[in-house]
Amino acid sequence: MAQTRSSTTVRKPDARLTRGARRTSSPYLVYALQRVAQAVAVVLLAYCFTFLVISVLPGDPVTNTLRNPENNFTEEEIARIVAYYGLDQPVHVQLWESLSRFLTGDLGVSLRSNLPVSRLIGEIIGSTLVLAVSALVVAVVLAFGIAYGTRNLPAPLARPLRAFPSLFLSVPNFVIGLLLINIFAFQLGLFQVIDSEGPAATFFAAVALGIPVSAQIAEVLIANLDHEARQEYAGFATSRGLSRSRLFWRHLLKPSSLPVVTVVALTVGELLGGALITETIFGRTGVGSLVQRSVTTQDLPVLQAVVVLAAITFVVVNLVVDLVYPLLDPRVDLRGATKRVRPVTEGASA
Amino acid sequence: MTPIRPVRPRRARRPGRTAAALVAVLALTAGCAASGAGSEQGNGKRQEGGDLTFLIDSLGDTWIPNNSAISSFQGHIWGHVTDKLVYVDEEGTVSPWVAEEWEQNDDATEFTITLKDGVTFSDGSPVDAEAVVANLDIWADGRPDEGINPIGLFPTTYESAEAVDPLTVKVSFSAPTLGFIPTLGYHGSILISPETLALSAEEQADLSNDIGSGPFTVKSWKEGDSVVLEKRDDYDWAPEALDHAGPATLDTLTYKLVAEPSVRTAAVQSGQAQVAYNPSPQELGPFKEQGYTVAAPRYLGFVNGFALNTQVAPFDDAKVRQAVQVGIDRDEILSTVYTEDWLPAESFIQSNVPGASDHSDEFAFDPEAAKTLLDEAGWRAAGDGVRTKGGKKLTLTLYPNPYLATSQSIDELVAQQLGDLGFEVEIQAYDVVTYGEKVSFQNPSVPAYEVTRSFIDAGTVAGILTDTDGGEDWFNVGQGDPELTRLGNEVAGAISTEEREPVLDELQSYVLQQGYFVPLTQIVQRLYLQSPKVKGVSYNGIAYANFYTAYLEG
Amino acid sequence: MTTITTEATEGPQAPGGWKPSALRRGRGSRRVPPLGVVASFAMLLLVVGWSLAPGLFTGQDPARGVPADAFQGPSVAHWFGTDHLGRDEFARVVHGSASSVTSALVAVAIGVLVGGLIGLVAGFIGSWVDVALSRVVDVLLAIPSFLLAVVVVSALGFETINAAIATGVSAVAVFARVMRSEVLRTRRAVFVEASLLLGGSRMHVLLRHVLPNASRSVLNLAVLQFGLSILVIAGLAFLGYGDPPPASDWGLLVSSGKDYPLAPWLVYTPALVTIATVLSANRISRWLRKTD
Repeated sequence: MAQTRSSTTVRKPDARLTRGARRTSSPYLVYALQRVAQAVAVVLLAYCFTFLVISVLPGDPVTNTLRNPENNFTEEEIARIVAYYGLDQPVHVQLWESLSRFLTGDLGVSLRSNLPVSRLIGEIIGSTLVLAVSALVVAVVLAFGIAYGTRNLPAPLARPLRAFPSLFLSVPNFVIGLLLINIFAFQLGLFQVIDSEGPAATFFAAVALGIPVSAQIAEVLIANLDHEARQEYAGFATSRGLSRSRLFWRHLLKPSSLPVVTVVALTVGELLGGALITETIFGRTGVGSLVQRSVTTQDLPVLQAVVVLAAITFVVVNLVVDLVYPLLDPRVDLRGATKRVRPVTEGASA
Repeated sequence: MTPIRPVRPRRARRPGRTAAALVAVLALTAGCAASGAGSEQGNGKRQEGGDLTFLIDSLGDTWIPNNSAISSFQGHIWGHVTDKLVYVDEEGTVSPWVAEEWEQNDDATEFTITLKDGVTFSDGSPVDAEAVVANLDIWADGRPDEGINPIGLFPTTYESAEAVDPLTVKVSFSAPTLGFIPTLGYHGSILISPETLALSAEEQADLSNDIGSGPFTVKSWKEGDSVVLEKRDDYDWAPEALDHAGPATLDTLTYKLVAEPSVRTAAVQSGQAQVAYNPSPQELGPFKEQGYTVAAPRYLGFVNGFALNTQVAPFDDAKVRQAVQVGIDRDEILSTVYTEDWLPAESFIQSNVPGASDHSDEFAFDPEAAKTLLDEAGWRAAGDGVRTKGGKKLTLTLYPNPYLATSQSIDELVAQQLGDLGFEVEIQAYDVVTYGEKVSFQNPSVPAYEVTRSFIDAGTVAGILTDTDGGEDWFNVGQGDPELTRLGNEVAGAISTEEREPVLDELQSYVLQQGYFVPLTQIVQRLYLQSPKVKGVSYNGIAYANFYTAYLEG
Repeated sequence: MTTITTEATEGPQAPGGWKPSALRRGRGSRRVPPLGVVASFAMLLLVVGWSLAPGLFTGQDPARGVPADAFQGPSVAHWFGTDHLGRDEFARVVHGSASSVTSALVAVAIGVLVGGLIGLVAGFIGSWVDVALSRVVDVLLAIPSFLLAVVVVSALGFETINAAIATGVSAVAVFARVMRSEVLRTRRAVFVEASLLLGGSRMHVLLRHVLPNASRSVLNLAVLQFGLSILVIAGLAFLGYGDPPPASDWGLLVSSGKDYPLAPWLVYTPALVTIATVLSANRISRWLRKTD
């Protein structure tokens, strides 16, 4: 997960493009256009990639149901139903048709529920957004809390606090979810499992989803705080009698927080991935549980749409951060390599 | 021949295998007959109105009525939103519902159904002969070109139906179809408004568009989350067999998807919901003690057991099949995997099926006899305890049925028991998807197929014995056993249950003695944990809980 | 694993033998690993022991239980209690280690080999190859890794080994990025440029200078990924994408244990073992990183 170490992965925009364009326009504009083009390419590639991977699946939900030996369908009936869904076409034809529909904004029809995919996703995306945003808020608050603690609490408390991110990253997130439900819903009765979209239930689901994410943010934040604290100015300020807490708020926090923006952007994917488990455990209807149902029923159009939406979300968020970041942090050099603090791994905590 | 669809969750590969698998385990422990026992916590006062929340592990897939009506999960909703022509109770007794009466011609190829007057769909249109004909046609044929399936296993002998007058329907078949009337009470045969039937697949998939004539209507629904039903105030055509008439007592029914079994039961315990579907069996003991109701209605159908493939070694030898038949200790299975209120198999069909007879002495556990049979078949014990014949080991692979969570444990026990006889048994467990692909009847690598299957009419049995008329040929005998073919044809061609009964009895005995079907135990596949306040729930022949008759106390 | 074995046989009698960089560094306070690291190594060693010779650690049969003893809480006879079939949970955890450890290793191996190769090629060859491979990596990064693992495992079939492969695939991008940046860094180093100028073959430079330098970061990432993979595979198992129940992977144990809330030890014992293992891997990775 957030590997904080010397965390500078050199992300180099294509050198030749940069070189060619540098003559004519501002480096920022070139950089921005390049990043946008990259983003579009990535989304399209992600679409094709998912399609091909899922096409490896033997069969499809329609044929699987029809071929159930306990159904008495004739071959002719099966062929006609399969043709209705276009599943008798070769893979590349299906991909082409699916991709052209996607480009016109049509996400197709779910093979499982026979409902338009856009309707399915439209019904539930709000719930997932609420969950993801709440989880992010929980994660950020928690991370800053831990980071604050490590610098401002007395050592006997601060030291163990440093182990928290590592611990958070080592607990399977379904265990966190089960634990929270068990304690807060069943033992303490603080929320109703049935009312899974209610504010209390949403809060605890957000905690379950946010804890592993908070660890990544906290790790980066702590590392950056440590780094800043070692700078001369910090030592100077302390020697002049500035209190630890004032030093933290006035001097260390801002430079340390800036890189956190990038980490947060990278955790977007993790929030969506983690939602799969969290939504299932908390009985929420959302993109995660939709994926779960679609995977087990091989509902290709839905999976396709969700993966692409996830990729778009990830790409757009990171694009925005990449575009805004250079404006915030003058240390970033846009020509050649973009050197900036960027965690290397956006791991896959499940 | 009236082949009928399976009850088992058609597509139980959802919230993880655990959940799907649980369906069965649960079913298993609870014991059979709906045990409404337990100390009551309600105050005995019947509430008017009330809302009931039912926690379910899945809400199935599409809501196109034809494609979903037999889903083990969606059947709960269809059962409240729609009516059927006839009602079939837990004992398999057929009684009038929307069909007031019916008669058949002498050779059971033509049926005349008279409908109840005044029945309406919730959109106001009448449930008349035209509507019934439209339903029969789409059940039989579907509209494959538009993605609407026929309801599989509807009698393939169906020829046509015509509306004689607004309340009379005449249905014709190409051959005797004694099972037709019971089939009308099976979960596939739900009456849907002709206007709905005329809609496209995509429109039918929206549950709000699916209009039935049942005691409840769809108030709202959210795909993969919940379905809320509200009662229909003008409902007045419930089956007489039920203990209730007029509109339902409960105001609303909410079916809410909760994938985790433990969450479902805990929610019932904490009063957040009234019914949990498929609870975890190990929790049932304490719940019973606390006064919760555990309902484990049995369905009508085959028992849980193995259909042996007679074309594959070692089961191509009748003696080996018979050795397995008497070599399995069913009491040990009952006591280890299930609770004491689980019923032993008496035949290869459940004992509540009309026409089922007790043949348990024909396959009683007798390990010595089993060993003798194997000796006679030429399988001799070797040094390592595994029998051999001509240098080949006596091996067997079992594929636990993923639709029955206890299947794994049962197979492990069976492996142990057959191991004692000198078999070398391997167990290959697959998830539902892979199972569907790799394990089937007649498959040369599947010597024993583990059956879980419901039906309404015992005539269904005729459709699985051989390959006559596209039969399923579970034992892979084709036309190779004239006696079996004869018995099958006689059951299929019977024109009255009186005539059929003795043949059925003979057939059961023959199938068991030949070791074609090796029964294990009777099966319970739908299990309910209910708050003590819920009263008056009824269960039909396919074990669905009907809350039309239910009310809340206190 | 190499690290672990070395650590186990590490001692004064092995002068000149290969030691983790931390030990090689010699003097200084970092010479002796902190207590936490030692404990972490011990934990991983124990888990490896469980996977290699489960019989040494438990005499009980993980597959055959005594039904009458079902749902017994942890005790001297059954350290981790018993499950619904009366099987010893400790025996199941111990016997499940092999599968859990192996699948995590498979996942890491795929990440290291495939991701490492992509990163190496992209970084070393550069030009359009770099551009193309970087886009591929971007695609893999853009799809949330757990979602990616789910999609891949559903394509391969729901078995533990496939869950491991899927987890490996979802880690490819991370390894590729680290490897690429390390290769770029090393390539630009003065001594490498000098070596190239002096006429060293590209292959020679690659093997002699680039790989050894890059491998340290990759090793450290691999240790981290080992822990992560256990979590991801457990998550997949939890959703039902692993082997069906007779197997006793830790993730499966937790997910089947959750169905019995009256026997909480069926969840917390395998969960604690999982947490301890992942925590140890993380701790060691952190230590390796610090001592680089």
